[in-house]
Amino acid sequence: MSKLGSVVESVERYNEFVVDQVKRARTDEKFGRDLLGRWNDIKAKIATTSTPTGIPLPRLALPEIDEPGEIARYLFGEGLPGEFPYLNGAYREMYLEPLREVESLERNGGPSRTGGKGEKKALSAAEEPTRLFSGLMLAEDTNERFHFLTAHQRTHRLSTAFDGPTLYGIDSDADGVFGKIGEGGVAIDTIEDMVRLYDGFDLGSANFSASMTISGPAPIIMAMYIAAAKRRFGPSVVPKLRGTIQADIFKEVQAQNETIFPIEPSLRFLTDMVEFTTREMPRWYPISISGYHIGEAGSTPVQQAAYTLSNGFAYAEMFAARGIPVDQFGPRLSFFLDCGLDVEYIALARISRRIWAIGMRDVFGAGPKAQLYKLHTQTSGRSLIAAEFKNNLTRTAAELMLAYMNATNSCHSNSADEPFTTPSEEWIRLAAHGQAILLEESGIFKHTMNMLSGSPGMKAVEHAVEAAILNEFREIERLGGVLAAVEERYQRSQIQNAAHKYEQQIYDGTRPIIALNKYRNGSDDVPEVKLVRTPRKKQQLQVDRLAKFKKKNAEKSKRALDKLAAVVESGKNCFPALLDAVEVCSLGQITGQLQEVVGRFRPMV
Amino acid sequence: MAQPIRILTAVPICDGHDSAINTINLEFIRHGIEVVYLGYHRPVGDIVRAAIQEDVRAIGISSYNGGHIEFFAEVVDLLRKKGADDIKVFGGGGGTITHDDAKIMRRKGVDEIFFAGTSLEDMVKFVHRRYSKPRGRRVKPKSADQELAHKLTGIEDAKAKIRSSQSAIRNSKVIGFTGPGGAGKTTLIDELVLRFLNKDQQSRVAILSHDPSVIGEGALLGDRATMINSQNDRVFMRSMATRGQAGGLSPATKDCLALLARSGFDYVIIETVGTGQEAMPFQKNGIVEQTVLVMNPDYGSRLQLQKIVMLDLADIVVVNKSDLQRAKTAHTEIEQRLEQNRRKQRLLDTVAKRHRDPGVDRLFDLISGNAKRAKERRKK
Repeated sequence: MSKLGSVVESVERYNEFVVDQVKRARTDEKFGRDLLGRWNDIKAKIATTSTPTGIPLPRLALPEIDEPGEIARYLFGEGLPGEFPYLNGAYREMYLEPLREVESLERNGGPSRTGGKGEKKALSAAEEPTRLFSGLMLAEDTNERFHFLTAHQRTHRLSTAFDGPTLYGIDSDADGVFGKIGEGGVAIDTIEDMVRLYDGFDLGSANFSASMTISGPAPIIMAMYIAAAKRRFGPSVVPKLRGTIQADIFKEVQAQNETIFPIEPSLRFLTDMVEFTTREMPRWYPISISGYHIGEAGSTPVQQAAYTLSNGFAYAEMFAARGIPVDQFGPRLSFFLDCGLDVEYIALARISRRIWAIGMRDVFGAGPKAQLYKLHTQTSGRSLIAAEFKNNLTRTAAELMLAYMNATNSCHSNSADEPFTTPSEEWIRLAAHGQAILLEESGIFKHTMNMLSGSPGMKAVEHAVEAAILNEFREIERLGGVLAAVEERYQRSQIQNAAHKYEQQIYDGTRPIIALNKYRNGSDDVPEVKLVRTPRKKQQLQVDRLAKFKKKNAEKSKRALDKLAAVVESGKNCFPALLDAVEVCSLGQITGQLQEVVGRFRPMV
Repeated sequence: MAQPIRILTAVPICDGHDSAINTINLEFIRHGIEVVYLGYHRPVGDIVRAAIQEDVRAIGISSYNGGHIEFFAEVVDLLRKKGADDIKVFGGGGGTITHDDAKIMRRKGVDEIFFAGTSLEDMVKFVHRRYSKPRGRRVKPKSADQELAHKLTGIEDAKAKIRSSQSAIRNSKVIGFTGPGGAGKTTLIDELVLRFLNKDQQSRVAILSHDPSVIGEGALLGDRATMINSQNDRVFMRSMATRGQAGGLSPATKDCLALLARSGFDYVIIETVGTGQEAMPFQKNGIVEQTVLVMNPDYGSRLQLQKIVMLDLADIVVVNKSDLQRAKTAHTEIEQRLEQNRRKQRLLDTVAKRHRDPGVDRLFDLISGNAKRAKERRKK
């Protein structure tokens, strides 16, 4: 049995445990009395806040129960926000406005702004509500953009998109990629580009973090980032580096198709990197376990949650097998989910958080910090359509509501114009404002935790979703675990099948899409847009710079590549050799060398 | 009756968005179109080479990651340079290709760009309308591969016949691969090709691969998408649909194979579609010189083995996926089964998906006739 089978058992056991506790609370008088006492203590400690119109509200809302059995069901089955099994939130106060008179004791290590409240900064002044994903043209252009975006911000949280060649680990001088240089993201070929990319930012500062959305060549790009930081700030900067790299191989193979090495060596390179970062860079998140692309590729919400969780458990199993302590890597894992409009999204992340916590605690022996399912959510791009595209504002707003009801730690809202263009300033701004309106302007989330948690409907969805996720786990386990199922293309075909059904439902009208298959006004006109494209001159500059780099390092790179190959063959952790190699080799040279040794990824069709 | 339209579809380099093209491919084949699918993340050179070798009527490109103006133009230009501008180019990219882009692309020689919202039906209609007319006189081929490709089309469309006197001439080693679907034939062949190419820097290999025609007479010819090593100038590959013939090959296979076998390749590899127990695609005294049966360890009960006719005929039997738990039992059972035949059949275990698999090395040695090396490896 793989660990996933044990996870299923642990959740079943935990659910039985909850039922037992409910019974015990009703039959064992002392136990019941203690629970009631604890419940009253909790209630007594809840601070009161006042709304702008002056009515008092509790900072934490609890169900109106006073019967020990029901108290047991709530405390053990759901947990208070910030308490096992974390159904109601990974942290105690999440989006609440800081309360001046209450000294908060907890500090959290959340990856993002909404988890943080320990330092008592007003939300609006401390960290701005959006992560703006950007990357365009060459490193210096993206750098300029980063400076523009963060000009008035105290914290600099940069989210980096890479261009196609970089995502596939090839150089800008490769055959047929010229037109793709700097398109859809920034072109990175060498450490020199990496230095340019974050120029002017203090990489070691607590107010800076870099997020890099790249998976196939992630270990190489990670090495480039570290080497670039060392070039600028010296070796002492390494333990201070903060940020996230996506590095999710399973979802690439299942959904996104940006895999460059065969699966097993890809996982080995990933583990090499994770071993290095957990030891040397305690503030770094070396993997973002992503359901977003699975959802966007057409999966059902349950498939998305189930594959993301099972991928997570498979990574945990792998890292543990390498000998990395679970309490060391556990807190450095983070998750990324899609949030669409299907009803499952009311509780998808809540249940994911619960299953993760139980599995990590009971199967992997993880301590509290390693039990947290820390989540970044993005609203669904697939749910947006071009026809009467302004409706997309409503769609995204509803999805944001769902994301916050699930107590996501951070969020990205899509721009309404995404179905037909690269988002423009105007619509990006509206998307960002959507978050601020919900969190800061409206009173829904800022006064009281649990404002919308635990409705009868939500509970019904939770139970249905949990059961369905466990069923997916059982199926994957039956196939021999995540890796075996991936190699059999199980998740891939399930996702493709779901995507096909979704399209079919739109076609036959059983899935209403307003202004597309219902309430159509007949005009499908979208504004004709002018896209900003990378000028040829810039693309040529990138190619020329790369040629210069390669020429300059011709001899050194050969030696570094030979050394890298030898280390990879030896089976030892190759990350230190990557760190050396990126000093003198380009991304494409390193990818090529690694492919020589371990082979290329054979696409699954 | 008119022959099915053959087109090639692909997603450009650095682009993994294959969801749209997967849907479109299925729609095409349901409507009688034969689709050679090259997969995602494919460079211009691979696309053009494949289009020429497969001698398709048109190339459909689905691009979602930008750079489409250059990419489409490079495909058109390279086709022109190779003297293959009778192969047309069309494509789409949802909302990523603007109307202005499309204007430029059409000016540069692209036939048609489909925008977001185009129905699958309209795309099928377009292909039928635009590419179903019989090709007139063929352009004069600019390369040997192109000439060969044209001739193969002639044979497949039953316009040309190989004179029987010619069918005996052969200057390549011809190896036949067959076996049940999912056994890993395609991956295994691709791994062998890599070894052929590495061993001798001059050698050339031809591959004749088969996929079944579906109801509606189209076919998805998808082997190229997984055969990453075989997308090489030294490999000539042709994908054929069975076009209604049972047994794993096409009505034109024999003549096409005969032509390939005397076209100067060092090796010609023919791969059948996934076959059943009774299938016997390679006859004795045919053109095929050596036959390889690729087995999956999960063939069911031992009794099933008695029914597989190819086990009597194959020169080499390969148990692929020998990393699976059942592989050892499979090896023993098949070994016993082969002993009944009292022929010097060889039995090998491979894990084709593994890079540098020693089992594949042994198979390569056997096929490439390096008996001594094969023996040495056996000792290890």
